[in-house]
Amino acid sequence: MTDERKSLSGLTDQEAKEFHSIFVASFLAFTAIAVVAHILVWMWRPWL
Amino acid sequence: MYRIWQIFDPRRTLIALFAFLFTLALLIHFILLSTARYNWLEGPVVVKAPAAQMAPLPPAQGQGK
Repeated sequence: MTDERKSLSGLTDQEAKEFHSIFVASFLAFTAIAVVAHILVWMWRPWL
Repeated sequence: MYRIWQIFDPRRTLIALFAFLFTLALLIHFILLSTARYNWLEGPVVVKAPAAQMAPLPPAQGQGK
């Protein structure tokens, strides 16, 4: 208990790992949606 | 890499990230709406020639003196 919460944010190693996996998955999903949106806009009106 | 969440508070980081992305998205959407090519609501706005029946104002007469 004393050694588990010594980080600046208060997260333990395990908690940081868990949050990071969700964060990365969400980031990849957001990026995928953005890529699809850009492809659709490019098909509509290319900008270069 | 995951150790970054032991330095930055996840809650504050998420709020800051969402606020930033929302502001950026709003900015980009309004910029696109302001253009003729990418305005998806109005389409290209044809600029009409100035109305011919609008006569210019007569020159000012005797102002000040």
